Amino acid sequence: MSSKPDDLAGAGRRNFLKGVTATGAAALTPVLVAQAQTPQTAPAARTVALPNTAVETLPPPAEPVNQTSSGGDFMVDVLKTLDIDYLAMNCASSFRGLHEAVVNYAMNVKPEILTCPHEEIAVSMAQGYAKIEGKPMAVICHGTVGLQHASMGLYNAWCDRVPIYMMIGNIIEADKRGTAPEWAHSAIDPGGMVRDFVKWDDQPASLQHFAESAVRAYKVAMTAPMGPVLLSLDAELQENPISDRDHLRIPKYAPVVPPVGDSGAIAELAKLLVTAQNPVLICDRMARSASGMARLVELAEALQCAVVDLGGRMNFPSRHPLNQTFRRPAVVAQADVILAIEVNDLWGSINSFNDRIVRVNRPLYKPGTKIITLGSRDLYIKSNTQDFQRFNEVDLAIAGDGEGSLPALTEQVRRLLSAERKAALDARGRKLGEAHLALRESAKSDATIGWDASPISTARMCAELYAQIKDEDWSLVGTGININWPRRLWKMDQPHHWNGGSGGFGQGYNAPAAAGAALANKRHGRISVTIQSDGDLMYVPGTLWTAAHHRIPILYVMLNNRAYHQEYMYLQAMAARHGRGIANAHVGTTLTNPNIDFATVARGFGVYAEGPITDPKDLAVALKRAVAVVKRGEPALVDVVTDPR
Amino acid sequence: MNGFSRLLAVLLLTLAAGHPAWSADAANGKRVYLADGCFACHGRAGQGGAMNYPAPPLAQTKLPLAVFRIILRTGPKDMPAYAENVLPDQDVADIHAFLLSLPGRRPTQDMPLLNQ
Ligand code: HEC
Ligand SMILES: Cc1ncc(C[n+]2csc(CCOP(=O)(O)OP(=O)(O)O)c2C)c(N)n1
Ligand SMILES: [Mg+2]
Repeated sequence: MSSKPDDLAGAGRRNFLKGVTATGAAALTPVLVAQAQTPQTAPAARTVALPNTAVETLPPPAEPVNQTSSGGDFMVDVLKTLDIDYLAMNCASSFRGLHEAVVNYAMNVKPEILTCPHEEIAVSMAQGYAKIEGKPMAVICHGTVGLQHASMGLYNAWCDRVPIYMMIGNIIEADKRGTAPEWAHSAIDPGGMVRDFVKWDDQPASLQHFAESAVRAYKVAMTAPMGPVLLSLDAELQENPISDRDHLRIPKYAPVVPPVGDSGAIAELAKLLVTAQNPVLICDRMARSASGMARLVELAEALQCAVVDLGGRMNFPSRHPLNQTFRRPAVVAQADVILAIEVNDLWGSINSFNDRIVRVNRPLYKPGTKIITLGSRDLYIKSNTQDFQRFNEVDLAIAGDGEGSLPALTEQVRRLLSAERKAALDARGRKLGEAHLALRESAKSDATIGWDASPISTARMCAELYAQIKDEDWSLVGTGININWPRRLWKMDQPHHWNGGSGGFGQGYNAPAAAGAALANKRHGRISVTIQSDGDLMYVPGTLWTAAHHRIPILYVMLNNRAYHQEYMYLQAMAARHGRGIANAHVGTTLTNPNIDFATVARGFGVYAEGPITDPKDLAVALKRAVAVVKRGEPALVDVVTDPR
Repeated sequence: MNGFSRLLAVLLLTLAAGHPAWSADAANGKRVYLADGCFACHGRAGQGGAMNYPAPPLAQTKLPLAVFRIILRTGPKDMPAYAENVLPDQDVADIHAFLLSLPGRRPTQDMPLLNQ
């Protein structure tokens, strides 16, 4: 054991009186004094030799009750060096030391506390926030119980490769735990509960250890592939005085420069792409900064090739002529070279499967197609959760940050392009452009079917929404499951026009992640909107209160199909397979009887609300009023009763 | 029509030719379309939708009834396969008639919301 002054179990902990004042002792009652005088029954930290004079004259200094420094203050100093703007939390005594330091020492600035009525809300807000802001938000919650509530949010963030700076409170030393809840909320290895899906975790044993681990945690979270990290903070370490602040050092943080793919491999890839007849670029979590999309556009335009954007980030403009996202099976079938950039589910994007008794899979690509991956995915993998998806054989796997490696690749491609080859590629590009235009026309035509229907078609709802925001600086920060109308109908060409999905398909992500993203958008003056399905909101309705409380400008447009519709469809498939009809498929899968009045729910949380809207003709005015509220800087919700998808 | 349907269409060309004409009831077709959950994936107005795969629009389907029926019996991708005891041939024909009775698409040129 180290004997540094602030050491958790060392002399410093036992001698913590060095940093305390005894002014409060004057208020001690004789009973307390009597207790203080019985050192053998007092906890170790309280066994202090009292001066005889004090024992003889009342009131004695007894146990210290005030202190002039705290570990929590130091922790704030450390967090400040990491440029963390927000601390999302659901309050709990295991981190009251740090909590108090944030409100009274940091004066609730950097980080500013976000009050969340559920830990899952806190984590998911952080996930949505990081994808817009490009840096993590801190989250803190109770040991054991809070962490278990937070865990699904962490899992989504893990699958989505998003940095979350997660902290929990814990009381490490058994003899420091007092009440029954303190025991129930302590663990010898709390990180073990979520270790399968955080990148790194630690439980610092001293403040110096905290400083180093705090900076390390930030660095690990922000290094590709990014992901959540966890620090378990001992309550005593947060709460107790610091004996010698001057001896504590906060290491400086230097970001890890993202790795660029090996230059030889990039050159080989460039050659393959330039000589290919029909190369296809597939990307998922590629754009991690405002530069990502522009870089992909440069590569695609140099090659005049098809781009399929799986939508994990805002990778490629929706109306770019080379965008072939909604012709994926067709372009993959024609491809002779496929480059997958930061694609996690490569197998799923180039194979099809039938949901039958015997599951039959079929490659969408032809034999001999060269498959190349570029990304950081191969650099880090864990065993238990299976989010790494099915193994797909490839011809060349290049380890490197996708966005970071694109300029070198584009440069190589340009170098290899002769004038003659360029002309050929331009012809290919023109054809793709025509196919893209045809896609857009068919999207528009598809959208007209059921245009005036009630329940309202999701296409109509999305078209009406776009009309209300398109002239603003808008950001779509969430959508319903497989609701692709925005990408099919809207002009999405700014890095903040979209920020991807949950990652782990864990429901209860969309509502809080949208609020977190909207918070990040707020300082840019953007209008954030999300298409919010009913089932998802029902996990985390308290998000609405957080949005109101913190004045987060966000428009929730409810896709209220009154069902966990995805599961309704799965149950239907089961019933059909078993030849029993679908008459009972609604049991356990629908949200009717009573129908949920989301506008009333929202108003109850202090959020401006409209609806339920069942006639599409009423949409425009309701959305317009709601957008005006959001432009004023507040949240709003419009409940739209829609057809299933 | 996607690749799967096209293949079936070719295979069934002769089969379909020999099939007796169905007298179909679009009103019953609507009832079955809703009761048997086609709407869940393909939308109440036959506008299409999505499960894990996109479920194509069905209003004004161009698929001949024979092909249409085979698709229902097979269930491509994640569409359920509907057996005859759950969805008799007559109901299939009625659904087909219902889908043909739906207004379907409109021209998009004069729809400002789709041209923004
Ligand atoms: C659980 C979702 C689901 C349900 C329920 C469902 N379908 Fe489908 N359906 C699909 C999907 C997905 C496809 C597209 C399959 C493909 O891509 O090959 C499809 C394709 C079809 C097609 C082929 C369309 C074309 O143009 O290629 C027809 C016809 C069809 N469905 C009719 C029906 C009818 C009628 C019902 C009700 C009896 C029904 N479906 C129920 C999901 C569903
Ligand atoms: C935490 C969690 N629980 C359950 C599920 C299973 N699940 C997948 S989709 C879904 C329905 C979601 O309903 P909603 O958000 O309303 O979307 P809809 O399917 O109706 O479009 C459920 C329950 C899940 N993915 N995550
Ligand atoms: Mg729903």
